[in-house]
Amino acid sequence: MANTTTKTGAVMVIGGGIAGIQSALDLAEMGFYVYMVEKGPAIGGRMAQLDKTFPTNDCSICMISPKLNDVGGHINIEILTLTDVLSVKGQEGDFSVTLRKNPRYIDMSKCIACGECANKCPKKVKNSFNENVDTRKAIYVEYAQAVPLKFSINAEECIYLTKGKCGNCQKVCPAGAVNYEDKAQEVTLKVGSVVVASGFDVFDPTVAETYRYSQWPNVITSMEYERILSASGPFQGHIVRPSDHKEPKKIAWLQCVGSRDINRCDKRYCSAVCCMYAIKEAVISKEHDQEMEAAVFYMDIRTYGKDFEKYYNRAQDAGVRFIRSRVHTLTPEPDGNVTLEYIEENGERKAETFELVILSVGLTPRLNLKKLAENVDIDLNEDGFIQTLPLTPINSTRPGVFACGAVNEPKDIPSTVMEASAAAEAAGRVIAEAKGTLTKTRTYPPERDVKDEVPRIGVFICHCGINIASVIKVEEVVEYCKDLPFVEHCTNTLFACSADSLGKIKDAIQEHKLNRLVVASCTPRTHEPMFREALAQAGLNKYLFEMANIRDQDSWVHQKEPVKATQKAKDLVRGAVAKAALLEQTYQTKMGLTKEALVVGAGAAGMNTALSIAQLGYPVHLLEQTDTLGGNGLKIFSREKDVRGYVRNLIQEVEAHPLIKIYKNTVPKSSHGFVGNFDTVCKGPEGEFTIAHGVTVLCAGGHAHKPASYLYGENPNVLLSLDMDELLASDDQVIKKPGQTFAFIQCVESRDTDRPYCSKICCTHSIESALTILDRNPEATIYILCRDVRTYGFREKLYQEARSRGVRFIKYCLDCGKPELAAGPNGKLHITIKDHILNRPVLIEADYVTLATGIDPTPMREEIVEVFKGQLSAEGFLFEAHMKLRPVDLATDGQFLAGLAHYPKPLEETIVQSKAAAARVATILSKEFIMVGGVIAVVDPEKCAVCCTCVRACPVQVPKIVRNEKDPALRGHAYMEPAMCHGCGVCVSECPGKAIKFQFFTDEQLLAKVEAMIVEKKAKPA
Amino acid sequence: MSDFDPKIIAFCCQYCAYNAADTAGSMRLQYSPDVEIVLIPCSGRFDVILALKAFESGADGVYVAGCLEGGCHFLDGNIRAKKRVAYLQKELKAIGLEPERLAMVNVSASQGPQFAQNVDDFTAVVKGLGPSPFKKKLAA
Amino acid sequence: MIICERKPIDEIKSFIAGKKKVLLVGCRGCVTVCNAGGTKEVEILAALLRLDAQKEGIELTVDEFTLERQCDPEYVDELAGLVEKGYDAILSMACSVGPQFLSRRYPKQDVYPSLNTCFIGGALAHGVWTEHCQACGNCIIHHYGGMCPVSRCSKSIMNGPCGGSSNGVCEISKDVECVWHLIASKYMDEGRLAEFAPIQPIKDWSKSRDGGPRKIVREELVK
Repeated sequence: MANTTTKTGAVMVIGGGIAGIQSALDLAEMGFYVYMVEKGPAIGGRMAQLDKTFPTNDCSICMISPKLNDVGGHINIEILTLTDVLSVKGQEGDFSVTLRKNPRYIDMSKCIACGECANKCPKKVKNSFNENVDTRKAIYVEYAQAVPLKFSINAEECIYLTKGKCGNCQKVCPAGAVNYEDKAQEVTLKVGSVVVASGFDVFDPTVAETYRYSQWPNVITSMEYERILSASGPFQGHIVRPSDHKEPKKIAWLQCVGSRDINRCDKRYCSAVCCMYAIKEAVISKEHDQEMEAAVFYMDIRTYGKDFEKYYNRAQDAGVRFIRSRVHTLTPEPDGNVTLEYIEENGERKAETFELVILSVGLTPRLNLKKLAENVDIDLNEDGFIQTLPLTPINSTRPGVFACGAVNEPKDIPSTVMEASAAAEAAGRVIAEAKGTLTKTRTYPPERDVKDEVPRIGVFICHCGINIASVIKVEEVVEYCKDLPFVEHCTNTLFACSADSLGKIKDAIQEHKLNRLVVASCTPRTHEPMFREALAQAGLNKYLFEMANIRDQDSWVHQKEPVKATQKAKDLVRGAVAKAALLEQTYQTKMGLTKEALVVGAGAAGMNTALSIAQLGYPVHLLEQTDTLGGNGLKIFSREKDVRGYVRNLIQEVEAHPLIKIYKNTVPKSSHGFVGNFDTVCKGPEGEFTIAHGVTVLCAGGHAHKPASYLYGENPNVLLSLDMDELLASDDQVIKKPGQTFAFIQCVESRDTDRPYCSKICCTHSIESALTILDRNPEATIYILCRDVRTYGFREKLYQEARSRGVRFIKYCLDCGKPELAAGPNGKLHITIKDHILNRPVLIEADYVTLATGIDPTPMREEIVEVFKGQLSAEGFLFEAHMKLRPVDLATDGQFLAGLAHYPKPLEETIVQSKAAAARVATILSKEFIMVGGVIAVVDPEKCAVCCTCVRACPVQVPKIVRNEKDPALRGHAYMEPAMCHGCGVCVSECPGKAIKFQFFTDEQLLAKVEAMIVEKKAKPA
Repeated sequence: MSDFDPKIIAFCCQYCAYNAADTAGSMRLQYSPDVEIVLIPCSGRFDVILALKAFESGADGVYVAGCLEGGCHFLDGNIRAKKRVAYLQKELKAIGLEPERLAMVNVSASQGPQFAQNVDDFTAVVKGLGPSPFKKKLAA
Repeated sequence: MIICERKPIDEIKSFIAGKKKVLLVGCRGCVTVCNAGGTKEVEILAALLRLDAQKEGIELTVDEFTLERQCDPEYVDELAGLVEKGYDAILSMACSVGPQFLSRRYPKQDVYPSLNTCFIGGALAHGVWTEHCQACGNCIIHHYGGMCPVSRCSKSIMNGPCGGSSNGVCEISKDVECVWHLIASKYMDEGRLAEFAPIQPIKDWSKSRDGGPRKIVREELVK
């Protein structure tokens, strides 16, 4: 088919952190070719540096490492490391991007990441990956799981490159990969759109002299502390302080360093993540050492995200102290301790000595962002982040250039991941017609069927230069393996992974008619895909391959015991050969799919999702249980943006789009099937009908909580936030009336034991309402009675404006008493609250009281999860597949969510999540078929006792008892839909009838391997 | 402590424990060569028969290494594994084997040092117990 | 189904003390479903027995075979070829019907039960089984909201509850729910307490175990 589009089906993603990674993976799966430009030598970004992540305390590197490998191995993602963007010319759909690829001084095709070079490099430099807490060499990889796992030379520090002497690394490199003559190159690439995801810098507290960061070793940044906590960090995860490597028994966290501070550091915004990471660091520190005292000094605790409030509560239960105070003076003690002086809320002056002080530093724009923005030709905002608008939160000022993650505004990982997927949707949508024009696919020769052949195993044992061979006697292992059962061919190779060796492997398969392959070298985690690829190219099923890890798990860890290491290598190869002999051809099968989406709920989330999916070119069925589209959005009044107009416009677009079919007054009744092939029975005004669809997006929404307190429903002047919006939208006279007093009560029936979560939007909402009132009636008196003010990110500026314009904030806490409300004379409302500064009750006479009650999940939630087999959180919101990295995916493949059904969030975040859901949908609907099967559990119906053990044991409810296909009269059996099985093997290991086989890890294979590893070799069968 | 070289099999899950072993490798942490790793997709794939066969073949110790609790990539495979290990420990004890020869540990991918420590700790335990009583008679 | 539980290994060991060749026979019926005697359990017990022998320095062969059912002679016949090889003992991993059928069919063999047959019941959840029937031969659960007072009441009383019921739990153990509490709650929840109120007459126990071993003959089936 001739390509008639003028648009280029490729996207450039700038930045290789989690934002760039998510965007790139989504785009590549949506059918676009991706260039990932990374300034540093490896991708991974900040997430690779973190120890654990809130609120699940998952290990950060464990989560991101599989994603790194996905990017590294993706045929349609090209990683360009050490690369700067010089210019972006052209227009949306047709850009020319000029890049400078800086020299690595290492030939990536040759480097085997053995580390010999770094061993011999005499030049120690500060280890920036460990936040300069320790040192590394001038030739280095940033971290063990880095992608690409290739060394690079820091040219400014290298003795050879600066002085022309040394040259050690070149001398010792067993692969001849070091090239001091490497030069920067300029290249120009054609792309249709650009995603900027270049991340953030952490605030450098040197400028905030109060904290003495640069002078005292035991005042450190939170990022340095992350590295100290990390098992791969400078102290291997032992919590010690820098000055004397003693374990600190008392640690203080100082919040808002480089955030919410216009006095010294000119950072007016809230960095949005520091409260949570400080709590996390405190909790984890106490897990390391229960006796350790942890104290967090804060202004407001901003635990506004999903499960954050509970995390905060748990930290308090665990004994972490929270002190609302900004520390004014730090004084060093002779023993390295630091004394903090501060004033408590009641005005009392305090001094307290800590052994380690951690500055919870904020997020700032990257140092080079200004230059990058100039080169890409986009604007920055007044705070130095990329300029976007609330209703188009990922669009930069230049069409076709999108931005996601902390480059736009400080934010946490889930929000970043959502924006990244949303940016993928936007970047893909503008070049939707060029989908699939530049992507590559792999082609293979026809596969040889070896099912009936006697195993003929080829064994390749790698020297890995000297990485293996300097410890293990490779030749001895080769000789030993030659007469293992079924081994036809055994040889050594200098680098099994080199192109040359892969060629030899393919030749050997032909020459010796091999039908199984074993490579003894490094780890299958990184190299198995490459060798499997070689098998496929040689016409063998790729699952007829087994690796023995004799480097990472042998030569590297037994360097001083060469004899035992050699023995162990023999054991490992023997095990691999034994398993290989039993390997079976395993197939993934192609399964067709219905390229249509079902979206449930037509509020802002559902409509945005539907519209984006339709604009990407796929038909959408949009269900709405009421007779009107629009949801909560039609009730919102905002000072900053015309929300109602936006929603009305959205309704028009959705109604006009030819690919969107709207079903009003319709609810889902039941749903069956799996990714690509769902059937959902719906009930509408005309009765029941079935929709066939490939994916589902749940946008069932939420609504304002209606309280049973504070005279709500009894007194007409007691309003909910949305009632106040209606007043602001419709009745100016009330607002402008002279002498009016308006009060807002925050956290009404929210953040308490019944509803232990923060609804995220209410603080900003009340402040916006207050400012709108003041805009129209500057003489109005306004009180906001609040607990913590949670105006995260740039919303902090509204809080600053409100205070400067005279809005009175009175703080209360649950312990010292909630405000009380009573009807007074003359129609006034009387609020009594204990003022936190006066420390005595005050009486406020208000004309209107607005209750910020937060958001409840939809009352439909139980039906929704029953129909779509989802899960609810304790609060009643839908439970996503993974809190951090899959915030728009549900646990069932092919199901997604967006908007308030997930968690309370402002409109701009709902828009982002909706577009993210559309991108995730497109990663599935863009395919012509779905590949299913492989390393999964398969039931043998003959052996199945229909006992339901698997049905009950499966963590993701995949097994079902089905009818016998051959004859429905026969007994049924358990069945795991290959498209749904995640491949953990729990069912296999519990099946009482041994009726379930786990492909590639069968009992027979594993038992043979274990036995062979333990028992010395048996004689070869004749 | 006896000076024999025990034979120990470690069943490691692919996402965390096996990854942690690789991390220990890239950090060049030196640990006992007596432990040999068998890769399994998830510790939930650990089947008691695997450990039984290992002991039958002459292993002196067996342990299962999964993700940190709460961190299983398949939700609760490591919890299932833990329960199976506890069950088998009881059975082994009943036939006169020290239950300490079988263990469950949890590590995350970045915990190379912990992985190496686990190996050494477990090896020390097994060395302290001496050769497996099963193996002793097998050789005789 | 019939719920069984494996005997302690020591007891099973005592059965085969001094024997050199043992056949372990599983059953694909109830005991597979209740995770007590299927292929997997056979495999585990065989391995444990071999290991134990290995430790003691005893030569022991344990062969494994799982029958479709041990309570039907046709399936039991399938063992004939194996049994001819000569075993010192056969261990049945079925309910007690299994070893009885095996020893009747192979009278010269020593046949031992490896399972304890516990009760007739069902699985409440993965790994949890409870008793639901005592095979009294005269089912009356329709009088009791679909619940069986014979098997599920500690005293098998027909007009309860007794004074030992407190907060829905039987006095014999806090882990035993009072079935009478459940029965009464069910009727109350449905507003049908009146239906339940009449005193039930004395139960006809003639078909129960008290009349000696039971037998059913279906003439139309008998050849």
